[in-house]
Amino acid sequence: MDQRNATAGLQTQLAQAGYVAERNLTVTMLLMESISRPLLIEGDPGTGKTEVAKALAKVRNTKLIRLQCYEGLDTYNALYEWNYQRQLLAIKRAESSGAAALDDNELFSAKYLLKRPLLEALTQPISPVLLIDEIDRADAAFEAFLLELLSDYQVSIPEMGTITAQTIPFVVLTSNGTRDLSDALRRRCLYHFLDYPSFEKELAIVQTRLPSLSRKLAGQIVEFAQSLRRFDLKKKPGIAETLDWAAALLGMGISTLDDAGAEQIVDSLATLLKTREDVLAMDHTTISRLVAAAG
Amino acid sequence: METILTAKITGFVAILRENGFAVGIDEAGDTMRVAEQLGVLKPKLLRDGWRGLLCARVDEWHRFDDLFDSYWQKPNRQKLVETRTGGAGQIERDTANEAAGGKAGPVLQTGMDEAGASGDDRATKEGASAAPSMETADFSSLTQPEQTRAIEAVIRRFARRLQRLKTRRETADKVGRRLDLRRTLRRSVGAGGAPARLSYIAPRRVRPRLVLLLDVSRSMSLYSFFYLRVARALAAELSDIHVFLYHTHLTPISEALTDPDPWRAQERLAILSAGWAGGTRIGDCIAAFNRQHAGRLVHGRTAVIIVSDGYDTGEAGMLEREMTSLARRAKRLIWLNPLKAQPGYAPTARGMAEALPHLDLFAAGHDLASLDTTFSAIMDVL
Repeated sequence: MDQRNATAGLQTQLAQAGYVAERNLTVTMLLMESISRPLLIEGDPGTGKTEVAKALAKVRNTKLIRLQCYEGLDTYNALYEWNYQRQLLAIKRAESSGAAALDDNELFSAKYLLKRPLLEALTQPISPVLLIDEIDRADAAFEAFLLELLSDYQVSIPEMGTITAQTIPFVVLTSNGTRDLSDALRRRCLYHFLDYPSFEKELAIVQTRLPSLSRKLAGQIVEFAQSLRRFDLKKKPGIAETLDWAAALLGMGISTLDDAGAEQIVDSLATLLKTREDVLAMDHTTISRLVAAAG
Repeated sequence: METILTAKITGFVAILRENGFAVGIDEAGDTMRVAEQLGVLKPKLLRDGWRGLLCARVDEWHRFDDLFDSYWQKPNRQKLVETRTGGAGQIERDTANEAAGGKAGPVLQTGMDEAGASGDDRATKEGASAAPSMETADFSSLTQPEQTRAIEAVIRRFARRLQRLKTRRETADKVGRRLDLRRTLRRSVGAGGAPARLSYIAPRRVRPRLVLLLDVSRSMSLYSFFYLRVARALAAELSDIHVFLYHTHLTPISEALTDPDPWRAQERLAILSAGWAGGTRIGDCIAAFNRQHAGRLVHGRTAVIIVSDGYDTGEAGMLEREMTSLARRAKRLIWLNPLKAQPGYAPTARGMAEALPHLDLFAAGHDLASLDTTFSAIMDVL
């Protein structure tokens, strides 16, 4: 019974942090802790993958350390680098002051070490949330390196020796599927697939984020976004887009979609439709029809 | 009691492995820990926990619930459990059509492998064929030795050249020829300013990705096997290659093609090939590719190779539209048309005429000799 309570408790906490989580995600997040494995989240852009990590950090009341991956990301940008400028200055200083010899160990001490996100995450006194965003953008070599780091939680710096994690961070990896990840990495991780939300879930999210929105308008907005996703669009609007649109409509002082008229809605659609083809596909009649259906 | 439970859980893990889940020993051990923590008497909770632990990709994620239910739930209770979307309804189990017991059912009951199930369970998830063909191709010539060896030689040459492809961007390289001044100076800091350790750079290698779309409709039947053999040889030689068959719908076959056991590869292909030698709807198939696979597979270094004679029965203008969007995504778009080798051929077929403006290379490649020249031409445009 306590397990079910724990799940419900975390779910409530997440809701308070502004994240509406389904039960299966909550269970997985609890497991992350108990069997200390990283969590790999996949899903289309805009389904709230990154938000999971942010909400987790908020709930656990700990630091969020973020590593944004990109093609060509290397260990110098991800793990650590020596602060060459400071080292040079120290050498010059030692030279001019006529000190007998500069101590090597002094030159390669923590003082001259620039911590990048991964090392930063290993050296926290309280378990931080380490978000490795869009891991699919980094190349396979980096993925292999990450695999090693995530299994041992220690890194070796040749000049200093091995640094072992003080606390095991909560690691959240996200992927958009631009590249298929290796089986080895997938196996190390817990897996969660985030789909586009159901009507109820999306409505809950919109109402949590924008409490000033009326229940009717929120319902219409979500219904409209949901039906938009059923169209064959190039780039389907995610939750982030729905929220942007709701904020835009709120800013325009619109109370319900039927009052607004197609003209005003088309003006605000820049927040939902992100490619030229999609904008062209959504003409006035289609939009009026969608609004009528959403009413 | 404990041992019975352990055996049952181990059995479940074995079932998952049989269904293509990559479950290691670590995970198998962790299933016990999760079961201990969540309690074996709460199936919904346990299913949520195990799903996160044991799945590693989307298709596994979608099949897991059915597998779990059919293993752990009593048959008449299977329908009672909520779906994975967390209360959005019940599993839609169409008892009349799918008496086999859900998406994963047939797999469990007959113990076939993954590809075996996808044949009768519409795993291809494409629409119905316009002119479906009931015949399944005979893939026994897939491993015909002489031609295969000759193809392999050509492909190996191509693969080696592909691996030597370089860009003007540079990267650190131990045996590079140019000195990396910046890095050398930086490393000299540790030695008090003496450049004791030199660093070199060399041009960066690129690894282009190949996507192969093979037309296996009736009009192409003379050439289909030849191209399929080429695809198999390519898949054996290159790691980053993705192969699809299409006629009236699109089927990914990379996995079946790279099966190390040639006989099993034949069997899997035979199952996947339902509709082989039927009609062609190139436009719809490219559209399906654009929608379902292009976002994942096609990036700035991808060459998409389409093999087809250009006879399209789909809606006019569709192919044109889809080719435009594919050309925008892919680095190179290459079309191999076996008819091009015939004297006096002109690309007048509607499909071909629509596609032509978007192509970077239009070649024949219908036999070994022309394949060799075609691959040289591909290297030039890459």
